[in-house]
Amino acid sequence: MNTLKPESSERENQPEGSPPQNSWRIIEFFGRRPREVAIFLLDIIGLISIALAASKHLVKPKRRRIFLNLFIRQLYNTGVRALYINGMIAIFIGALLMSRLFDYIPQQVISTQYSYLFVVIVFRELGPLISGIILISRSATAVTSEIGFLRMTREFQVLHGLGINPVFMFLLPVFFAFPISLFLMFIYFDFVCLLSAYVFIWFSDPDISFLTFLANILEQITLNEVSINAVKALLGGVMIGIISIHFGAKAADSFDDVSHAISNSTTAQLMSFFLINVVLSILAYTQ
Amino acid sequence: MSIEIRNLHIEYPDHLLFDNVSLSATPHEIIAIETKVLDGGTSLLKGIAGFLSGVSGQVLIDGVDLLAPTDPESAFKVGYVYEERGLLSIYNIYQNICLPLQFHTDMTAAEIAQEAHYVCDLLQIDDGLFDQHPHHLNDVQTRTVNLARALIVKPRLLLIDELEGGMSDEFLQDTMERLKERQRDHPMVVLITTASDIVMELADRVLKIENQDLVEALA
Repeated sequence: MNTLKPESSERENQPEGSPPQNSWRIIEFFGRRPREVAIFLLDIIGLISIALAASKHLVKPKRRRIFLNLFIRQLYNTGVRALYINGMIAIFIGALLMSRLFDYIPQQVISTQYSYLFVVIVFRELGPLISGIILISRSATAVTSEIGFLRMTREFQVLHGLGINPVFMFLLPVFFAFPISLFLMFIYFDFVCLLSAYVFIWFSDPDISFLTFLANILEQITLNEVSINAVKALLGGVMIGIISIHFGAKAADSFDDVSHAISNSTTAQLMSFFLINVVLSILAYTQ
Repeated sequence: MSIEIRNLHIEYPDHLLFDNVSLSATPHEIIAIETKVLDGGTSLLKGIAGFLSGVSGQVLIDGVDLLAPTDPESAFKVGYVYEERGLLSIYNIYQNICLPLQFHTDMTAAEIAQEAHYVCDLLQIDDGLFDQHPHHLNDVQTRTVNLARALIVKPRLLLIDELEGGMSDEFLQDTMERLKERQRDHPMVVLITTASDIVMELADRVLKIENQDLVEALA
């Protein structure tokens, strides 16, 4: 009986003819999500424009030198240190998927069909997707936690006190390094995948020449495909980097905030990156 | 050269901290602000430095308001020494000390190194610390490096938040003497919150926080 009391009193307080409390909650729930998404998108657009505006600092040679140190550090952490895991996954894909596929294609059309399938599966889709997932799981989470930690320890305030814009020190290197790293990871993934596929095919067919194998695949790659991959790297890299900064900078005073920031940013990055890939692939490759 | 604080008002959303604080100081002056736990000393210094929102009033250095957001020279007018942390974790100690000059000036690396070694020698910071990162330092070393980074830009207003924590009396006295030595070469007003008798004895004036204002402390 007691549990019913608040409900009945709430109902008594409502104006006559107004929807019941639960309806308001449902309306509020459905209204809040689009509002949050809209604010998130505006934040992302805002951060991109802030990064572009801060790029003017790069005109000064001394500041450019400071930037380059941070940029190279970011590129090394993001691109170079990911080569191992990127290469391992590329070897698995090449060995398990692409070399098996070779066995199922009739010999008469193998040179054209296999190369075409390699480009469609690996170059267009798997390379970008897996590289993006590695970038998100390895580097973007690290950037989010680093920014969260810097916020917690008030290092942005220290920079402000030194007359240095934190955007220059932390946003710009990520803004430029992530797309470049991602594009290099695409290329590396494709190359290692191609190499491992060749090695496993060679075990079953030692007569096949690597140069012919490579030439057949390169023949299928058009400028359009390279451009689309570059756009995927540019948009995907920028989005992943900016989302990391966005959520990292939201952390306030506790490690709990940093944990939330990492999980929220990873979710947002995966959704954004998959969306960018799917939309670009559909736009570019649908006949 | 003069420093003048006019009608400084510092307010947090739920709490008025300082109301109508005014203060004038001349170069070569060290002003100690006697503080107790949670009486707002740190907030006062941060408010003067322009680190806080909810601050109104003026902090005039040679007639230019430091709190005006458009002053590009503020990094060279004010040095701030944090009570704890205050160094950038991505850089080593040497890079932390040199960063303001690297970012804001066209000085060569050799000129910056000369300045850095000068302030480090003055404050007895061992060269062996240069390659260390902030998390390797203890509290006293961190504060001393903070002080070196603040002094390297030759500020006209130096704000120090409780220098004494963890320092022996001899080390604190020595550091204060060296600060005075630097002040003789490069005139600046030093505003230092403290609970230390040594700092208050060496200061030219001692103020205390009372009724949301700064008042002269009795000797």
